[in-house]
Amino acid sequence: MEYQKAAELNGLCNGKIVTEYLCRNGFSELTVDTKKVAVQHKHETSRKEAEDESRLPALEAAYSTILRGLGENTDRQGLLKTPLRAAKAMQFLTKGYHETIYDILNDAIFDEDHEELVIVKDIDMFSLCEHHLVPFFGKVHIGYLPSKKVVGLSKLARIVEIYSRRLQVQERLTKQIAMAISEALQPVGVAVVIEAAHMCMVMRGVQKMNSRTVTSAMLGAFREDPKAREEFLALTKSAQ
Amino acid sequence: MERSKQKQMSQNENETDAAINGHFDGRAKVPGWSAGGAAGTPSTVPSSSVMESWREERTRSLEDNEMSLPSIAAAYTTILRGLGEDPQRQGLLKTPWRAATAMQFFTKGYQEKIIDVLNDAIFDEDHDEMVIVKDIDMFSMCEHHLVPIFGRVHIGYLPNKRVLGLSKLARIVEIYSRRLQVQERLTKQIAVAITEALQPAGVGVVIEATHMCMVMRGVQKMNSKTVTSTMLGVFREDPKTRDEFLSLIRS
Repeated sequence: MEYQKAAELNGLCNGKIVTEYLCRNGFSELTVDTKKVAVQHKHETSRKEAEDESRLPALEAAYSTILRGLGENTDRQGLLKTPLRAAKAMQFLTKGYHETIYDILNDAIFDEDHEELVIVKDIDMFSLCEHHLVPFFGKVHIGYLPSKKVVGLSKLARIVEIYSRRLQVQERLTKQIAMAISEALQPVGVAVVIEAAHMCMVMRGVQKMNSRTVTSAMLGAFREDPKAREEFLALTKSAQ
Repeated sequence: MERSKQKQMSQNENETDAAINGHFDGRAKVPGWSAGGAAGTPSTVPSSSVMESWREERTRSLEDNEMSLPSIAAAYTTILRGLGEDPQRQGLLKTPWRAATAMQFFTKGYQEKIIDVLNDAIFDEDHDEMVIVKDIDMFSMCEHHLVPIFGRVHIGYLPNKRVLGLSKLARIVEIYSRRLQVQERLTKQIAVAITEALQPAGVGVVIEATHMCMVMRGVQKMNSKTVTSTMLGVFREDPKTRDEFLSLIRS
């Protein structure tokens, strides 16, 4: 399954829950085991937090090595606790690995007799380039054509958070968001557009300040019907 | 070898001037630059002693870079593993090296000295009106979280018969910003460097920046900007000059 491959590419599946979810094609099978899975999940989260704590010393040591390698004086006042802060910051910026779609979407899918386009746009997104470990950030626009099932609006933003807080490539990020919504809701179509600035291009390398990278993923009706796509793109175009 | 010299140097300076981040923090080494203002008095300091303080800046060489690359790359591999990623997957195979080189680029200010950048571009011009270079894009690294800071720098100075090549102002910004920095210190270092190079009647530096450590993590305030300024000489004493500078950078 394409989605499974895409998700496996992006790392870490710490908990059993995630692999179980990924192995199944849809949501319906999981509803039966809700309680058992929920309990299991609570243990998983606290285990992951404990794991984070236990990994901190190794990360701190690595950051100290980096600071020394750059020629800085690690004993000066401003840098004394920097390895710890940098390690925690990095763990925060990659916290998407610990989160699963299942936890956040669990209750927020509703049956609505609505079949028109639903768009949530201008979702701020911050991620890390997996090639240089340097941030890239921008805006995500998501639109979907529900098929009798709508999702809580903030959950779309939470899906963005889960996948963006990882070491990412913008193309894969776009696809993962689209596939996640597709799998969760089975809508008529999903469209995701991301416009981002990559610091690895702005701060170093070619150093083009104003360049933006735009990627999109169109699934279902958005891929087949040009009019639906047009409507989505027209509505997400901001007056700049 | 170079590093122990630096340590010794910084220990010595902690007793007096607290050289932080490779430069004497805040003291313009020009006698006669007291609170009373030296507007119009030409500096009698021989240029060599001014250059002395520049020479004391920390330098890292290209050889140092090459030698430390493997250890920095190994550290990044540890970090990738510590975050739970698989360093052997295709996208991450060369990431430790790329990240290490990128980090060395982001701190390349340690490899450069003001004196090399400015050496020839100071000219004698009979000009004593304000010169401003604004909207200089600036990229730095927060020394507390190792996360980028970016923004714009506006520099203005009142020459005292000596003007500086305009791009040299931007190069001074580059040297000091491509380091592990704190925005307040960066602003001051730029102002002091220009002061020491030109002995102008006054210097004003304003930096407006976005800190990713505040935007991407922590408080997560997307639109927040931090503004710092340093006014030296006439810019500090004469409010009209400062007003002119501030309104010109705003337009």
